[in-house]
Amino acid sequence: MSGIIEVENLSFGYTSEATILRDMSFSITPGTFVAIAGPNGAGKSTLLNLICRALRPDSGTIRIDAAAIESYSTRALAAKVAVVRQELAPIFGFSVMETVLMAKTPYYDSMGFESRVDRETANEALEATDTAQFASRPLASLSSGERQRVFIARALAQNSLIMLLDEPTNFLDLKHQVGIYDLLKVAQVEKGKTIVAVTHDINLASQYCDEILLLGADSSYHIGKTKTVLIPEQIKGVFDVDVFVGRVGKEEFFIPLGKFAKNRGKTNKEAGNI
Amino acid sequence: MKQLLTLKRLIARIGLALVVLAAVMGVCSLIGTEEVSLKAVFAGPGTRTTVNPDYDIFIRFRLPRIILAGLVGAALACAGVVFQVILRNPLADPYILGISSGAGLGVIIAVISGLNWTLWGRSPIAVFAFAGALGTVWLVWFIGRLTGKFHVTGLLLAGVVVNAFFSALMMFLTSVTKSDQVYSTIFWLMGNITEGDFLVLWIGAGCVVGGIVALFYLGPQLNALSFGADDARSMGVNVARTRTIAFGIAAGITAVAVSLSGLIGFVGLVVPHGVRLIFGPDHRQLLPLSGVTGAAFLIVADTLARIIVAPAQLPVGVVTAIVGGPFFLILLIKYSRKVSWLT
Amino acid sequence: MNKWSLLLLIISCWTAVGAVISGTRQGHGDSDTPMPDRVNRIVSLAPNITEILFAIGLRDEIAGVTLDSDYPPDAAAKRKVGTFWQPDIEAVVAARPDLVITLGFEQQRNLAERLRRIGYKNLIVNIEKVSDLFKAIERIGDVTGGRQQASELTNRIRTDLQRLTARIASEPKVRVLWVVQREPLRVAGRDTFINEMIELAGGENAIGPTLHKYPPIGSEQVVACNAEVIIEPTMGRQDIDNQQNGAMQYWSKFKRLPAVANRRIYVIDGDTVSRLGPRLYEAAEAIARCLRPHIFEN
Repeated sequence: MSGIIEVENLSFGYTSEATILRDMSFSITPGTFVAIAGPNGAGKSTLLNLICRALRPDSGTIRIDAAAIESYSTRALAAKVAVVRQELAPIFGFSVMETVLMAKTPYYDSMGFESRVDRETANEALEATDTAQFASRPLASLSSGERQRVFIARALAQNSLIMLLDEPTNFLDLKHQVGIYDLLKVAQVEKGKTIVAVTHDINLASQYCDEILLLGADSSYHIGKTKTVLIPEQIKGVFDVDVFVGRVGKEEFFIPLGKFAKNRGKTNKEAGNI
Repeated sequence: MKQLLTLKRLIARIGLALVVLAAVMGVCSLIGTEEVSLKAVFAGPGTRTTVNPDYDIFIRFRLPRIILAGLVGAALACAGVVFQVILRNPLADPYILGISSGAGLGVIIAVISGLNWTLWGRSPIAVFAFAGALGTVWLVWFIGRLTGKFHVTGLLLAGVVVNAFFSALMMFLTSVTKSDQVYSTIFWLMGNITEGDFLVLWIGAGCVVGGIVALFYLGPQLNALSFGADDARSMGVNVARTRTIAFGIAAGITAVAVSLSGLIGFVGLVVPHGVRLIFGPDHRQLLPLSGVTGAAFLIVADTLARIIVAPAQLPVGVVTAIVGGPFFLILLIKYSRKVSWLT
Repeated sequence: MNKWSLLLLIISCWTAVGAVISGTRQGHGDSDTPMPDRVNRIVSLAPNITEILFAIGLRDEIAGVTLDSDYPPDAAAKRKVGTFWQPDIEAVVAARPDLVITLGFEQQRNLAERLRRIGYKNLIVNIEKVSDLFKAIERIGDVTGGRQQASELTNRIRTDLQRLTARIASEPKVRVLWVVQREPLRVAGRDTFINEMIELAGGENAIGPTLHKYPPIGSEQVVACNAEVIIEPTMGRQDIDNQQNGAMQYWSKFKRLPAVANRRIYVIDGDTVSRLGPRLYEAAEAIARCLRPHIFEN
């Protein structure tokens, strides 16, 4: 089965000397929830920007839904790929509803207004992200977490096959972190969307994501099922940090170990955990 | 609690605004240094032997002047809206990318190069101002593109540099030219509204109104652009095309305004903010309402300029500066707390 | 058709319609007809033109003057139509002129053109040199039916001037520096009517030929010009004594200048000398008094 995102021999660097991504090839199956993780500077956001065509690769190809990414018009690409970036407070004060409705901009009527169907789609998206009660409030008056949910609602309203998110839970509290990932999982399971999220949090990735793409700072990468890829040796190799692996029922969690960690020195086996 | 904008609501608001504008025009047309009685106006134009000054003053001077003020005000206000969203800078005004110095340079060159030739009986100054304005915008755009695909800071810096260079060039030319007409250039630069002739007004009206309607068509895309180019692109908006077209039209109507009336400041900066404060940032509404408000604002300013120091007249730019200056300061204070300048 | 093409089409049609309408419009009165025979209401847009009109006996026919037309004193009673730099076109029209007389420079020319297009007659006179003045007086006389008075006026002025030049013909020329503005320092150059008056009064301009008519000059040129007399016309209605004291103080730093050493710095009434009009003789005589006080001591 061909992937919905297919990357072949992708290379990219912001300058000619510093190549961040080298000769990457992978394929993402439709309807999966993929996490992209790795240390700072490994190129996670860069890869995301390449997939949504905000950047152009130096070499290699990217195919979205079996067609080369260059072959899409801006509007057609937006129908396939929606992006949620790290949220910025807008300068001008649009309301939540107005923001979400903008997802439908290419489909407005000739006078530039949205249809009833567009408004219903927006409402559904607001319901799904539990932000319907903010509909007429200015975006700037919401908290960070609420704003992030609104941007996800906008991406949902776009009705695209793929959703790309760049560190969606960066500044959120625990409840909202879980809330957002729940939301994304629902979108994946109920609507069949393909979700690709850049994240620092390998625990959430382990909990929610089917596959994980680990990017190393040296342009190395490993992609595969979460259970296969997220093992201490691999994590040590990519993040250059020891981890303590724990299990609670079927869930695995990872805790990074620094110099002052109390169980340091014993391997996981010795600590009696595996 | 905001209501959502619908076509019906928009049309109602524009309609109301137009009614207010008509009222303003009506009142201002009856104000001036001379008393004009409407009854006398309706008697029609005079003949060679019996002149009807009321008709002449009203129809040939006041009305064209008011229409011109309205057109220039509308053009500058709408251009201001567009520049503010494209450059993502609340302090942008239509002259920010060199249009003012370009127009001024064009005028000085026209004046120096032997000013006795006319274009169909009309002074070539307006044409040179227009050409200078557009040429400079193109130059700034071109230089800006050299600094990277579309880098707002690069564009702004290019504008500052070109402005400075052309202004210096203007001062140089002013001081070495023998021509006494240099004084009229300086006068022109201060901005003044005089009743243009019919054809000029007619074509100007077509360009300005047409330009504003075209910008209205881009309203939804400009809304998306408020969130940044990347976001807008992800939503399916062709950012490069929107920017180019909007920029081109805004620069065009500004060049038309400048060639009609010289440099009138503050309208393009202050009116968009005022309208945005009351009606919100949705460009489908912001554009037409800013146009109408800009028109009314400049008509009132021009009327004040006509009567405050009668029998002399103030340049209208002085009135807009006196009103606009403090407003600008307030804006600066309000926004610098709220926002980091996003590019 | 999409909305953009529609818009473009509408604008093109609009422009075409405008061109058609514009071709068929007219103002009242044919602008190519000759000047009217009887001119009962004249508007003057410059102070020297006002003086000329009064001087050739057209006081009653004057329907409007600019704010700065302050001579003769009767002009104050006339209806005002704005200032010299910014004439109020509405006021001009409200004065119902048969004839509007303006000077030749750009702004006034524009105004005259605007008036002409809607059918108001205008006369443009250039008064930049002394010879211009005589031509202008005669032209105005021609047009307004005051030909005889105009000739009388020009003859009188010419005769007076000849008498003046005869009186001082044998004397050597006095070098004069004519200071129009002190900060920054600007003087009257050779290509001005002021220069002509200086020469009529028996002087010569201390400044050589310059690019500008009223050039700004630096201290070096002041020292090099070796002026024997410095004349400063007053600006506005300030106290002449005050200005005289101020001038003495200002120039005292150029100790080597003959004008300063001999204390020959004169502040004279600006009204007469800064305007090229019928008071030309009075102006020249005032200047001559400064240059050769001993001759005019009677």
